Amino acid sequence: MIGYILRRFGAAVLVLFAISVLVFLIFFATPGVDPAARIAGKNADPATLEQVRASFGFDQPLPVQYLMMMKHLFVSHDLTSFVNRGTLVIPQIMDAVPVTLSLVVGAAVIWMVLGVAMGTLAGAMRGTLVDPLVMLLGVFGVSLPVYWLGEVVNLVTQKELHDSVFSWVPPLGYVPLSQSPGQWALHLLLPWLTLALLYAGIYARLLRGELIQALNEDYVRTARAKGLSERRILIRHALRCSLIPIVSLFGLDFGALVGGAALLTEVVFGLPGVGKLTYQALQNLDLPVIMGTVLYAAFFVVLANAVVDVLYARLDPRVRRA
Amino acid sequence: MKRNLPIAAGAALLALSVSACSGASSPAAPAGSAGTADSSQTSPAGFQEQHKGGTLRLQAKSGDGTLDPHINYSNGNWQIFQAMYDGLLAFKKVGGEASYDLVPDLAEAMPQVSPDGRSYTFTLRKGVKFAGGGEVTADDVVASFERIYKVSGPTSGTFYAGIVGAAACVKKPKECTLDKGVVADKAKNTVTINLVEPDSEFPLKLALPHAAVLPKDTPDKDQGTKPIGGTGPYMAVSYDPNKELKLVRNPDFTEWSREAQPQGYPDEIVYSYGLTAEAAVTAVQNGQADWVFDPLPADRLSEIGTKYASQAHVNQLSAFWYLPLNTNLAPFDKPEARQALNWAIDRQAVVKMFGGANVAQPACTLLPPGIPGHADFCDFPQPDLAKAKDLVQQSGTAGQEVAVVVSDDEVSKQIGEYVRSTLEQIGYQAKLKVISTNIHFTYIQNDKNKVQVSVSQWYADYPAASDFLHVLLSCASFRAGSDSSINISGYCDKDIDARMAEAMTLDRTDKNAANAKWGEIDRDLTKASPIIPLFTPKQVDFVSSRVGNYQFHKQFFMLVSQLWVK
Repeated sequence: MIGYILRRFGAAVLVLFAISVLVFLIFFATPGVDPAARIAGKNADPATLEQVRASFGFDQPLPVQYLMMMKHLFVSHDLTSFVNRGTLVIPQIMDAVPVTLSLVVGAAVIWMVLGVAMGTLAGAMRGTLVDPLVMLLGVFGVSLPVYWLGEVVNLVTQKELHDSVFSWVPPLGYVPLSQSPGQWALHLLLPWLTLALLYAGIYARLLRGELIQALNEDYVRTARAKGLSERRILIRHALRCSLIPIVSLFGLDFGALVGGAALLTEVVFGLPGVGKLTYQALQNLDLPVIMGTVLYAAFFVVLANAVVDVLYARLDPRVRRA
Repeated sequence: MKRNLPIAAGAALLALSVSACSGASSPAAPAGSAGTADSSQTSPAGFQEQHKGGTLRLQAKSGDGTLDPHINYSNGNWQIFQAMYDGLLAFKKVGGEASYDLVPDLAEAMPQVSPDGRSYTFTLRKGVKFAGGGEVTADDVVASFERIYKVSGPTSGTFYAGIVGAAACVKKPKECTLDKGVVADKAKNTVTINLVEPDSEFPLKLALPHAAVLPKDTPDKDQGTKPIGGTGPYMAVSYDPNKELKLVRNPDFTEWSREAQPQGYPDEIVYSYGLTAEAAVTAVQNGQADWVFDPLPADRLSEIGTKYASQAHVNQLSAFWYLPLNTNLAPFDKPEARQALNWAIDRQAVVKMFGGANVAQPACTLLPPGIPGHADFCDFPQPDLAKAKDLVQQSGTAGQEVAVVVSDDEVSKQIGEYVRSTLEQIGYQAKLKVISTNIHFTYIQNDKNKVQVSVSQWYADYPAASDFLHVLLSCASFRAGSDSSINISGYCDKDIDARMAEAMTLDRTDKNAANAKWGEIDRDLTKASPIIPLFTPKQVDFVSSRVGNYQFHKQFFMLVSQLWVK
């Protein structure tokens, strides 16, 4: 087991290293990005440009610059932004994490409850009108792109009906949980629902398929023969097995979202999370922040993968034995 | 100065004329009594106590870089710095034409200039204090000037390169001293600035934030997000470029000159970052915010121009949009080829792409109206395709390939496509290359990228002809192989360079003659067509319904500290 963990850890470090080198090289291979020219300002004198180049170490060979950046990021923890100078990258990310976590955890609860409820309902009521209706709803959710849905939600709640039905909707933005739990939830309610809708649809459809397959398995027939109630068969036996792929999918989705994949939702609703930070850094080509957020995102994806593997084993004993 | 984002406008903005050219909506601009106004006087033009107080809420997509006035070079923060810092001189803080006038700020009066034009002597005002610090002294002034070089400020090698000792300071910032360039006389409370060569624009440069006077113990490195105590009516208490900038009243401020630095109305100014322009406009409509920094989205302009017309303010900018043509690459190394395109472009059509006559006006000249030296000529008035085709034939470049490189915002893409089709019409094989707005401005500057023609903009750093013509088209502004080479055309004409130098010399003695000369140079440059002017844009400001006393300053835009929220 320890060997397995070590191997896994080694692979993760390798992946992170490769990603960081890639980000670094892509940045410097892009024409028109000379960070010294951007920092020195418009029409800077060549001598000023040289001073800036030297003081930021841009005159060093690329491998040295890469090592310096990694040193600032991992050893001295004082990597600063190129664009908003004086702003440390790590605290910036740390400040953004609670926002993203608030958004993603809340949305995840909603989409898991909705997804599992819809999937189970559709699977159990197969052959009735409920099944296609619920699935239609699911397709509806899957087909609405989150940036469009978010803008429409804003249009309706902040503009068209802001003075009547939606006068309770607060302005866009984020209020920390520690400051006011009520306002926190109120500010996040619409972003949660917007983000959750897509995933609820995907999960409902997936779960329905798994459930129908499971209900046709031998062990379900055996359980029925033993005289178990349909409800018990559905929930204790069929659903439990059907949840395995859902859990692994959830782990990956959750990891990616916490890592910054909720970018569109954050941008549309003005939430200063990791996705928004990444977006902003890409907008003004701020390499240190891009590097920080990309590594952070990669870390969460790798971590989520590992957690999924462990959970998988807990849910399905066959994995443990193998 | 280059402004990051163009106003994104569609064809929608037709109704904005309602409030066009609003200038000052307040009862007359402060009359001021020549620099030494005393704050106790409360004439109608003075401070209006009943409007004092409240929190002004500004919105922008993101912060605009460092809070260090010696380093930041962005329109967004320059606007805010007006309420935080002062230099020896200032642009008069009023709306309208008078905003280009210089007034003494930390200096008691305008400087005494020596007969040879090389030295400026300022007597400092007494009793002006830094936020949370001591009184402003001559030492602070000297230290601040040295700091411009010690932090390698963006304009240290250009605007302020003429101070005695500056050349050495630019090369070796750490050891910088200006003991011969900026001399303090503590007994007389004066500071004398000595220049290597006379520079008639020097007073203008002293009124920019890069020459702000800061406490002498301010560290010699970019202070980034750490606020520096300034002399203005407001001081920053916190700054996070991802969240907000918060300004409160500077407790050590007492008004010394209403023209130079009037006391502000709101108690607090909160600049929030994070909302998209779309969401910020909605917030202003809902009264959740008071103003939006970012260019207003095209699809909202007609709504703002009709339903919210009384909250919209439109003002002419000292800026222009233009096409830089690379004079070192075929086909535009031939003057006839450049003139052909100048004849072919329909400026009215381009104005429509930007949003129509209410947000832009076609430009015939390189110097925008309002900039000294602007002359009213129009040598390429109407598009003439036949003439353009002839010129292309004459130049012998017909059939050559031309790529138009534009950034990926809507307006630039539309203009780029129009230029492409025009080039096709006059006999070239043209294609459009769209690249990210984030890299476009630096990409087109570097001659290694071999850009033949692109779409760019230029905003005045200060009101002077040289800030357009000399900066954009002098031999010195071209730097081979650099991302920082603002002479995008790579144009270099020794004769024009000499005439520009003459005009700058003449400006010291005879402003009118100098302006006439600049007008001629402008005309000859327009004929040579290394760059093709398209139009002069206007600024559209959208404020909430509770905001009053909107004033547009030609140099630093809306005067934030003068807005009423009560």
